[in-house]
Amino acid sequence: MERVIGTDELKSGDRKTVYVDDIPALVIRIQDEYFVVEDVCSHDGQPLTNGPIQDCSIVCPRHAARFDLRSGKALCMPATEAIRVFKTEIRDGAVWAGR
Amino acid sequence: MSSTTIDISRTGFSSEVFEQFLATRSEPSWITDARRAAFDQYQNLLQSELDPEEFKRVDLRVFNAGKFRPSAGTVDSSSISTLLSDKTEFGGSVAHVNGQVTQATVSDQIRAQGVLFGELQGLMTTHRELLEPYFMKKAVQTDADRFSAWHAAFWTGGTLLYVPRNVEVALPLHSLIAHSRDGVADFSHTLIILEDGARATLLEETTSANDDIAGLHVGCVELIVGRDANLRYVQLQNWNQKSWHFAHQAGCVDSNASLQWTVVGLGSKLAHIHQDINLNGRAATAEVNGVTFVSDRQKISYYTQQHHKAQGTHSDLLYKEVLRDEARVIWRGMIKVDPAAQQTDGYQRSDALMLSDDARCDSIPGLEIEADDVKCTHGATTGRVDKEQIFYCMSRGIHRHEAMHMIVEGFFQKVYDRIPVEIVRETLSRTVQGKLGIESIAV
Repeated sequence: MERVIGTDELKSGDRKTVYVDDIPALVIRIQDEYFVVEDVCSHDGQPLTNGPIQDCSIVCPRHAARFDLRSGKALCMPATEAIRVFKTEIRDGAVWAGR
Repeated sequence: MSSTTIDISRTGFSSEVFEQFLATRSEPSWITDARRAAFDQYQNLLQSELDPEEFKRVDLRVFNAGKFRPSAGTVDSSSISTLLSDKTEFGGSVAHVNGQVTQATVSDQIRAQGVLFGELQGLMTTHRELLEPYFMKKAVQTDADRFSAWHAAFWTGGTLLYVPRNVEVALPLHSLIAHSRDGVADFSHTLIILEDGARATLLEETTSANDDIAGLHVGCVELIVGRDANLRYVQLQNWNQKSWHFAHQAGCVDSNASLQWTVVGLGSKLAHIHQDINLNGRAATAEVNGVTFVSDRQKISYYTQQHHKAQGTHSDLLYKEVLRDEARVIWRGMIKVDPAAQQTDGYQRSDALMLSDDARCDSIPGLEIEADDVKCTHGATTGRVDKEQIFYCMSRGIHRHEAMHMIVEGFFQKVYDRIPVEIVRETLSRTVQGKLGIESIAV
């Protein structure tokens, strides 16, 4: 596990690009929950960075594929495969993530 | 909502790095002036977006140029091992380690033919009038993108092969580009010029001294093939999996000339190769072969263009990729036919064999045809190893691992058959076997 962000750095609904194990990732805060997902759409292989967040899911800004932030599961076409979700821990005032 | 933009200092070198680099150079003012002009272009290009057609699938976010610097001072080449150098007799050999030349030899017989083969910078200095009109002017343009401009500003070392008119170099020549130190940025340049009717073969390979050092290669390959000439060029990219490899490679083929070009991608953490084949003269021919085997989390991207500019030209591109683990290959190919290039025959094909569920291959062939009397064909396939084939082999008493090896070898065989140099075919076969790591493959 590696430290990715301090818990005071994001407000609910915000996100930040980080690197986990040299993989581009998004850390997203929803209420008091933090999610860390790979920042690559499984459909077209490009970043999800600025995709809208809806009901604990992120929508790809290009083709509207939607992914569950908890499981990574693809919730609608055109994506059929999940995105990677990193394990997270909150400790010492920071969010930690790992594979 | 907040989001992070990528720090621009991660993507390139600053003017301070450039001035430090220049301070280590001892070279004629015309080369320094050209570097300064290229660096100005580089700084402008760093501020602009890369061409999305070429780079939108190449994820450069993890790349951090700040971890790498050009090398100066002495280098130790004793720890470098190669796949090709001791496997056959060569007519000459050039080796670069960390962007600096450590060896340059050529046989007396080849030298007596008027052939120039050796370290590029030294020969550029002594043969300016001959070489300056070619260097980054005919094949690769300095301002093509930020990587070509970066290379033009910082190029070091490099290999030159110049073959005079109607001279045939019977023995193959060898060029080695190696990294031996962590954090080194190398900008090797390969320039091959075959005058009309000349013939030659150059085998080039890249390697890292061990698996632990991280290196950056921003390279350039320029192949100039004169009328009725024949060039066979092989580049075997075998960096370790911590290396970054960016390269502009271009061939220009004149009338009735032929270019046989083989690109092998085995190593690197991330590689992006921009390959242009320009068929400039009537009835020019190019055969392009690609062999790629990636594993773990390697990513290799090819952006190829077969540009037919004259009548009766012929190009034939065949790429074969094998992917395992979480590796990824991107191939974006284009056949471009100018209005004047009637009776063109263009072919391109990319086949990918997936050995795991998590590998990914994006193959995007394309045609852009402005002439009305041409034959152009393209295609791409991606598939898994057929379980029935494995089962059949096992039913004949062949071990599962050996069956897998046979299937991968068979997949590559069609492209091996097109590689004109036997030692390269044998080396690839051995290397693929070693890279298969059959135990961990899931079918």
